Amino acid sequence: MSLFPVVGRKQPRLRVAWWVIVALLCLGIFMHLIPFFIMISTSFKPASEAMAMPPTLFPREPTLAGWELAFNMTASARSLISQPLSQYFINSVIMTVGTLLLSIPITSMSAYACSKLLKGRSARYWFFFFIGTLMLPGIVTLIPSYLLTRNFPFPLPVAPTIPGTETPFPTIRIWNTFWAVILPAGFSAGNFLLFKGFFDSIPDSIINAARVDGGSEFNIFRRIVLPMSVPVFAVTIYFQFSGTWESYLWPLVVIQDSSIAPLTLAVRRLVDAFTYAGTTNAQTALGQSANVSNLVNQGLSWNGLMVLGLLQAIPVFLFFIVVREYLLKGVRIQGLK
Amino acid sequence: MAAQAEVLDAPSAQSSVPSEVKARRRWQLALFIVPAFLFQFFWGWYPMLVALFLSMTDAPIRGALTWQGLNNYNRLLLDPLVPMAFRITLIYAGLSILLTFAIPIFVSILLMEMPPNVMRVMMILWFLPLSGIASTLFWQYLYNEQFGLFQWIATAVLGLPPQSFLSSQNWVLLWLILPSILLYGPGLYYLTGLQSIPRSYYEAAEIEGAGFWRKIWTISLPRLRPIIAMTLLFAIIGSLQEFTFPDLMTRGGPNGASRTVVMYIMNILNNARYGDATALAVMLFALIMVATLIYRIVFKADPDQ
Repeated sequence: MSLFPVVGRKQPRLRVAWWVIVALLCLGIFMHLIPFFIMISTSFKPASEAMAMPPTLFPREPTLAGWELAFNMTASARSLISQPLSQYFINSVIMTVGTLLLSIPITSMSAYACSKLLKGRSARYWFFFFIGTLMLPGIVTLIPSYLLTRNFPFPLPVAPTIPGTETPFPTIRIWNTFWAVILPAGFSAGNFLLFKGFFDSIPDSIINAARVDGGSEFNIFRRIVLPMSVPVFAVTIYFQFSGTWESYLWPLVVIQDSSIAPLTLAVRRLVDAFTYAGTTNAQTALGQSANVSNLVNQGLSWNGLMVLGLLQAIPVFLFFIVVREYLLKGVRIQGLK
Repeated sequence: MAAQAEVLDAPSAQSSVPSEVKARRRWQLALFIVPAFLFQFFWGWYPMLVALFLSMTDAPIRGALTWQGLNNYNRLLLDPLVPMAFRITLIYAGLSILLTFAIPIFVSILLMEMPPNVMRVMMILWFLPLSGIASTLFWQYLYNEQFGLFQWIATAVLGLPPQSFLSSQNWVLLWLILPSILLYGPGLYYLTGLQSIPRSYYEAAEIEGAGFWRKIWTISLPRLRPIIAMTLLFAIIGSLQEFTFPDLMTRGGPNGASRTVVMYIMNILNNARYGDATALAVMLFALIMVATLIYRIVFKADPDQ
């Protein structure tokens, strides 16, 4: 409301300009909604119609076949992805909820300490310690972290032997378990920044008043700071949720069993089967295409893939709608400089 | 660690505070910081520092580790696929920032022109997150050469010969980047930044005779500068490490024409060549650090700061 002049708003030239902006915004929204529409529409098409040319806008013979296959796997679908889609969904939920339960308390408490409990030089050092990894590309930690999940605390393919003996050091192995996804996400530098920015904007006098009244630091945090900080918790939970829910590279590295694989990995499996992108030679391509025609006969093609995509998209989508009111209130950072 | 930390500012934190109160305060501080310290150390700094060491060893699957010096790096530099992956990564990152970065900024500025209620609804619809993974499925479907919507548009609507989209070696990168124009940008940050600009700035500018573009250029954008500086930095760091989208869309094909550096690292990792994979990651790390440095210098040299 501030770019247009206050005086003379009714001038025809300005009115036209204003409506052009409205039209542009609406066009963008329309284009943004197309993917949702096509995914939902395709998920209700029969398998053959989903692969028909020209594509249809609405399903001509709406069917729930795609959605049924999400829960009951036929034998030949089982040869492509070994679990029903609902299993992958549950795995994703376990990983995401586990990460949230671990990461949000740990990150928020450390940010609170940096913001209100520490002062001076030590606060700056701790701040750098917590924030430093955010500015450095994470890719370099990929392989050491992967090796850590195999032989914690040694980031090596094999644990070294205890000097003077033949027995290797005892190690903890969390690779190929849910913990391999949950534990490395225990502290989030990005969320730390959001928490710190928000806590910094809470006046010290409130906390000092509580200290005079004799509250322990933890009680002050829980009873006074927490209720004031609902927006930032909403935002960080949302970011952590969508980040873990969408994580792909890390689960690809540390999760091998399909029984504990998240939805994102199931997407990879199925996309491979339907696009041959992952096949390296004609023989496998031929074998897979036989598999695929088998699947189409049973009613699973891109309609099933779209069901998978919707299972992946809907939780993030719903979460966004739930926390929307807080999103603008919870972000109070003014850049890193 | 936490014992060194000083707790000040509490009104009673004078030298006269009894030592048991001080001790209790230290314990409380430790409770707040130690868990985060452990996680940030073991999954943040430790692997990062170890990576340098690991990249100079062979890290075999069994048997003892041997020191390799710079051998891994030399081998990678002789591998023709490595410069190719770097070139593709740079093109991919440059194109995607060029084509997508400015859009959410201008959308946010325009959204602020709407009446508050309309803005609320439009904001939700604009920044409605379409999950990245789900969107790869959707774009795969649209790009399909036999029955995709784009093929139908190209052949039936525009009357072109059948296009090869994702299997075209020359155009695959462009086709990969175009969809991200529609994806969720960091628009939220811009909106919060814009909301904190006092209305009086615009009113004063108006009295001075500033028009629509002038106000954007001299008030909105400079005020958003710290936020843009941050999001642009993250966009650079993130796009140079791109993996998920090209991996799901093309798996690096055709003939490696869309194989980014991280995808190549994954290829090497799948062959259990841990030393080489780490060395390549360190090389990418160095590239990103150089890009970050250049960015900082350029952004500082800006005349209006």
